[in-house]
Amino acid sequence: MKYLRILAYSLGIALSLSTAWLLFPGERSEAGLLAPATLKWVPDIEDTEDFCPFEHPEWRKAQTIEGVEISESPICRPDNPYLVASVVKGTNNVTMPTLMKTRLAMDAVVKENDLDGDGDPDVIHIKLEVAELNGSSPDGDFLIPGYPIAPGLMPGIWVFVPKLRGMATIDAVSTQAPEILRAPSPPIRVEQGDTVYLTLENTHYLPHTIHLHGVDHPYARADGQGNDGVPITSEKMLLPGESRTYKLHPRQTGAGIYHCHVQTDKHMLMGLQGLFIVEENRPDNWLQTFNIGAGRVRHPSRAAREKYAQEVDLHFQSLDKERYAAIQKYNDPRLVAKAMNREYDITDADEDFYLLNGKAFPYTLRDSLIVVEADQKILLHTVNGHPHSLGLHLHGHKTTAIAADGVPLQTPVTRDVQPLLPAQRLDLVLDTHNDGRHSFGPGAWLFHDHAEKSVTSDGVGPGGDLGLVVYRQYLDENGWPKLQGMDMVPFFNRQFYQKQVPVWARSGAWEIFSDTAPLPPDRLRLILSGLSLGLALGLLIALWRSGRKLP
Amino acid sequence: MRLLLFLLTLLSPVLALAGHRMDMDSMVMNENPVNLPEGCPKIAGDKTITVKAGRKFAGNFPGAVFAYDQQSWDIPPCTRLTIRFINKDHIRHQFMVHGLPEKTYPQGMFTIEVSGPGEESASLILPPSKKTYLVHCDIAQHTEHGMKAQLKVAGGDRDLASLPGLTRPARPDTYPTRWTVSSVFLLLLALAGGGLLVWLLRWLWQSMISE
Ligand SMILES: [Cu+2]
Ligand SMILES: [Cu+2]
Repeated sequence: MKYLRILAYSLGIALSLSTAWLLFPGERSEAGLLAPATLKWVPDIEDTEDFCPFEHPEWRKAQTIEGVEISESPICRPDNPYLVASVVKGTNNVTMPTLMKTRLAMDAVVKENDLDGDGDPDVIHIKLEVAELNGSSPDGDFLIPGYPIAPGLMPGIWVFVPKLRGMATIDAVSTQAPEILRAPSPPIRVEQGDTVYLTLENTHYLPHTIHLHGVDHPYARADGQGNDGVPITSEKMLLPGESRTYKLHPRQTGAGIYHCHVQTDKHMLMGLQGLFIVEENRPDNWLQTFNIGAGRVRHPSRAAREKYAQEVDLHFQSLDKERYAAIQKYNDPRLVAKAMNREYDITDADEDFYLLNGKAFPYTLRDSLIVVEADQKILLHTVNGHPHSLGLHLHGHKTTAIAADGVPLQTPVTRDVQPLLPAQRLDLVLDTHNDGRHSFGPGAWLFHDHAEKSVTSDGVGPGGDLGLVVYRQYLDENGWPKLQGMDMVPFFNRQFYQKQVPVWARSGAWEIFSDTAPLPPDRLRLILSGLSLGLALGLLIALWRSGRKLP
Repeated sequence: MRLLLFLLTLLSPVLALAGHRMDMDSMVMNENPVNLPEGCPKIAGDKTITVKAGRKFAGNFPGAVFAYDQQSWDIPPCTRLTIRFINKDHIRHQFMVHGLPEKTYPQGMFTIEVSGPGEESASLILPPSKKTYLVHCDIAQHTEHGMKAQLKVAGGDRDLASLPGLTRPARPDTYPTRWTVSSVFLLLLALAGGGLLVWLLRWLWQSMISE
């Protein structure tokens, strides 16, 4: 009798519990007669950035600093003209007030000895450091020095930077990197026949080297020191706190790359890669040794000025969340080294962020616009820093490839998808003559890698390596393109690339495409489920009490 | 314009005094051997410390890469402190003090930077109150990898976090755990202890009831 009662109670409890479980409102509910209303997305002011915050509009004008002619750069955030002057003349040859307007060390670019007597220096000492951007800190949950590639996106990056002085942040309170501390590793320009001393001062906590890819250099220096930057063959890795000078005397012109050759599949793709361009030897040819942030060269070489209206560097590179995860998770270099070298596996990897000149759209609109006028010829130095090939497509134009990997092409190729293999450099001529082939006429024309994932940031588009060629009449006086497409506000909201904002939130018919308001749980199911649960509880208590009375 | 020029000429000795020096080998910012910070009636005394910086000083601290040879200094208030800063590496390092009174030290900072192997000295007059000042090297990721210390005036008002060998990090790393024989033994011991505790409590209870 006793067991029968227990059995009956248990059965009742089980039944009511399962009913409660079955009727409990699920993650998704049916709406009934009318589907739920549309949520209107209202941007949070705190999370929404200005399109073009910039404190130095006077930097955009053409100007002469310390006798160095600096071309105009009418974009939102042009390069610092004082920095351009400093690296053209050499940080040893400019006055202190000019150098103080940059963060360059006094020995960042030392130029001396006009060996061939043609009016320009021929012995060039270049000093580089290694900087980690968006790394972790043992002092709290922030990334330092902070370098957003797009609103709210701070992936871990390593870059070669010119030797700096002072802090790695904007000021004593900020954790943000100053403008000079950025991706990509800056394009370096030297003259054919120069004697170049390229010194790497390893300021980073992991080992690195510099390999000169496609740039004429001896395998070893005269004193026997390895000069190829390859830790498997020519030399030891450069340890933290050490310095090494590579010496070269490039005999041929053309675009090469400098990159780290330690654990290349990680280090090069973390951002330790930059253009290294050898320019033709001309009289009085003072070169802009560094082009910070790539983009327009504000003091082009003599040869470039003879042939082209502008010279522009375009560096494409990509980042993988899993690859850089360790530097944001750990501080201890042993944990970073293990995670990066042995737990991460590039053969199973996919890239997440695509950068054009160190930024992703929409930040590319701030500092990577190519501003043109009709009937110009513009030289584009492109480099593919991805671990896969790239199809560079420019809307409204067909560019002409004139050199690949630093060697002039026998037959220049004009097309609208210019293919670049990994590490390949392609010199392209953008001709803005409106003939229906080279140019279809004025506009604000997109350019991007046509492998579609690269126009996203972690899968959210528009993002990635989207850039613009903007004809002058489509540019406003603050360097912002006059566009008549989508409202840009969502892209400048820090939630957008965190996938929190409907991509068509500000379209003319947002109510059709934006997010639906969440439904409250179905009332009937809620009541029935609650009742069943209550029943089960009641039965349980009754069972317990009857059990106590029995003996 | 004239007024500006006039002001500049007036200011120029101040600018020179503002204590900026820079050459190929080193840089000093906000050096101050003469101006008394607010609250210091006079210079209380002179003191010199030698600070060495480099990778080799991180050797005693597993997980650190760069460090100073010392992580904490305690100096009496209003002392004119001269820092002889020696860099043992072939890269830049800095001795940078933060949080100083901004009237005397722009941005509250005092900096010595040495460009490579070598040394540089500079002085500052310390403020009068009991406070702990952050000392670090602000080259990207150097503070984070061990080049951090504290300068206490009159005993300081606190200890900073993540000083190698001295204080724990605010956001510590976690390391893999591995069981050893002794940890298994410890666990078994604790298990037995737990059982013993029950027995003990029961015994206590019973003796209380029997009373
Ligand atoms: Cu490396
Ligand atoms: Cu340092």
